[in-house]
Amino acid sequence: MSRIHSLAMSRIRSLAIASVAALVAGVVALPATSVRADEAAATRMIFHDPETPVSGNPRGDVTIVAFLDYNCPYCKKSAPELERLVREDGNIRVVYKDWPILTPASVHGARLALAAKRQGKYDLAHEALMGIPGRRNSEETMSGAIEAAGIDMGRLEKDMTRDKEKIDQLLQRNLAQADMIGLRGTPAYLIGPFKVESSLDHAAFKAAVADARARQAKK
Amino acid sequence: MPRNLIRIVFAVLAWAAGMAVVQAQTPFQAQSLAQAQPSAQGPKFALPEPFQASATRTGDGLAITWSIAPDAYLYREKFSIIAPETGALRAALPAGVSKDDPTFGLVEVYHDSVTATLPAAELARAGGADKLELSWQGCDEKLGVCYPPERRLLDLATLELTSPKTASIAALLATPVSAQLADTDETASEAAQAPAPAAKAVSSPAATQMTPAPGAENGAENGAGNGWMDGSLLAMLATFLGFGLLLTFTPCVLPMIPILSGMLLRSGKEIAPTRAFVLSTTYVLAMAAAYALLGVVAAWSGQNLQLALQTPWALGAMSLLFIALALSMFGLFDLQLPAALTNRITGRTSGLGGSLSGAAALGFTSALIVGPCVTPPLAGALLYVSQTGDAARGAAALFALGLGMGLPLIAWGTFGPRALPRSGPWMVRVKQAFGVVFLAIAIGMLARVIPPQVSMTLWALLAIGAGVFLGALGPAREGAASQLARTAGVAALIYGATLLIGAAGGAEDPLRPLGFLAGSPAAIAAEQAGAASSATPVTTPAALDAAIAAARTAGKPIVIDFTADWCTVCKEIDRTVFAAADVRSRMGATSFIRVDLTDYTDASRALMQRYGVVGPPTILFFDPRTGNELPALRSIGALDASDFLRRLDLAGA
Repeated sequence: MSRIHSLAMSRIRSLAIASVAALVAGVVALPATSVRADEAAATRMIFHDPETPVSGNPRGDVTIVAFLDYNCPYCKKSAPELERLVREDGNIRVVYKDWPILTPASVHGARLALAAKRQGKYDLAHEALMGIPGRRNSEETMSGAIEAAGIDMGRLEKDMTRDKEKIDQLLQRNLAQADMIGLRGTPAYLIGPFKVESSLDHAAFKAAVADARARQAKK
Repeated sequence: MPRNLIRIVFAVLAWAAGMAVVQAQTPFQAQSLAQAQPSAQGPKFALPEPFQASATRTGDGLAITWSIAPDAYLYREKFSIIAPETGALRAALPAGVSKDDPTFGLVEVYHDSVTATLPAAELARAGGADKLELSWQGCDEKLGVCYPPERRLLDLATLELTSPKTASIAALLATPVSAQLADTDETASEAAQAPAPAAKAVSSPAATQMTPAPGAENGAENGAGNGWMDGSLLAMLATFLGFGLLLTFTPCVLPMIPILSGMLLRSGKEIAPTRAFVLSTTYVLAMAAAYALLGVVAAWSGQNLQLALQTPWALGAMSLLFIALALSMFGLFDLQLPAALTNRITGRTSGLGGSLSGAAALGFTSALIVGPCVTPPLAGALLYVSQTGDAARGAAALFALGLGMGLPLIAWGTFGPRALPRSGPWMVRVKQAFGVVFLAIAIGMLARVIPPQVSMTLWALLAIGAGVFLGALGPAREGAASQLARTAGVAALIYGATLLIGAAGGAEDPLRPLGFLAGSPAAIAAEQAGAASSATPVTTPAALDAAIAAARTAGKPIVIDFTADWCTVCKEIDRTVFAAADVRSRMGATSFIRVDLTDYTDASRALMQRYGVVGPPTILFFDPRTGNELPALRSIGALDASDFLRRLDLAGA
């Protein structure tokens, strides 16, 4: 009886020592860890929000985050230039942040594109919407462009209704992130480590990406 | 012997596992974002806003003038003036410039400035309205960007323009009910059915990943924009409890461990685990109660009690208490005071390890005075309380926080001392070691109020004393343990000696006592302060306003650091962040302002209240164009260099 008792006591003792050791390890090692989970997560979400559409090369060495509005004329001028560069370069990861700030119809366009993502057709929808000239396109015009691009409208409607809350939460996050980094107007791009609050042409995008790579190589 | 070996191996494995967990949790290295215009000159706005509106009374009605930044323009068709009951009013606008562009279509725009006139007759249609809602929208041609529509309320009596609380385009987005409930299916279908009329006010965005709420318009809604206090009472308490647990391994709770252990070991005999548990729990409950008190005091006076207690008197009294505790550990105490007094403090029988009231008192004062630690949840709760006056909720939250911080302490108190040897000479040694720790805590507290040379000397004496006790200067003895002790003793002696030399030479940092040898005192001071040497220190609101105004003209992102001499975490940040080479080079691209809260005066309190700063260290980032804070970049509490650089990037520096 006493032998079992002493065995149990020694086990408890070992457990106690082990837990004490782990506690001491934490005490020694963790002062360096920051406890601001929310803020670190917010920054991370700009580049790695799981619901944001990613285009280009998902394993590219430079990431471009594009904050765009579907009724933004300068975005429409700039978008094909970006797409051309991404195609030519082959090593750029593009994150599209739908940022509907200019007109009420922009919100509809953003919802359409994000719903199309559920069918794996975000890029197609994005191009279709950016291809509509002008800055005052109505919701009907946008829906029409999506349909003309060959996207299944029936499925789109269902996805839009079913995922309305998720889509709107994503748009809220995009809005919040843009505010967080002080963006004022569209288009706005984060090119690698650079923040660019203007539209760019192909040459300027190319130079920016090259600068970004040079900066990353120095690290 | 083999059993002890197994225990040691087990302990090492547990340590390794702990380290692995720590490594896995280090924050993701986000890409850094520095602002640099890769293409031609980055144009800076001549005006903080691209469009600025102002209203004046004319002989006949009203005139509203917009100043437009160079290269920017406003769309004629996007002007609107709306009276609340009547609807749109028609203002007279001059002819604009026509632009025709395949992407734009045919538009009429204004450059430089434009004035809309509202004749009295038209104004009369507004009826008895006292406010008009103005709206406009434009783009910038050179930058190639378009801005979201701007809305302002024009007060017809004062002709002042203010931002409305009502809809932005974002209001069209369905706002999910609440962060905590968003996951249930019922809520999803509820939100999907709720209509979203265009003029609905924006309630706090439930973007659960973001704190605080963004945008100036939401500022009124969320106060300091903290999401800590939302949700059901239970959920909020659980959140605070969880965060308290996370805080266990930070310098906020660290000093409590030796205090608690020392208190439990004072008796010298082994305490029954139940007694240890009861004492530890009392300690932690008192600690949590102290935190709750912070909330109540904040509601009553709007002040942070922890900071108000950082006075020389309170610190001195606490130091005396710890010196007394240390002396009792060394065994001196019992000899010199009457038995009645010692019994009251150390407990009626020595086996009790101290009395409950002693534990409670120690817990209470430890929380308030030993570790003034500003962390995001603490700041969130205190701000909530001072703004809403809801002391009950705030105090409950803070109690949960203190409890979370203390739960591991209870575990430690119950199991920790059991892991130590039962009795014998080892026990005396352990008590003496804790005596040294108590002295160290006392010196640490005094160091906040005494001159640095004096504190260096005290540290030196402590180190030398420890060295002597460890047998550095005594006769050589056999046995591995005593040899190891002697080694430690000699090291302590040498360190103490260097501290003395350092104190004599004018060094101020106990971790770099011989730093004064590196060069002239001015150079070392500059080097030790790192980036802080180029900072403009301010202590009053007027000085801060002036500093911000000067920084805005410089056009660089503004970093404002709330710091204080007695704030140990601030010193840590100075050492690890602001003195780092890469941070210093990046700080050249910012305007750095330091707000010194060392003397906790009315001016300091005014500054803290203005920005909702609960205590140092708190770092704010301001946009030079608008002069407003970028709220989500604010940093409360400890941070490391890479986190700071990340925020600099996002601020555009």
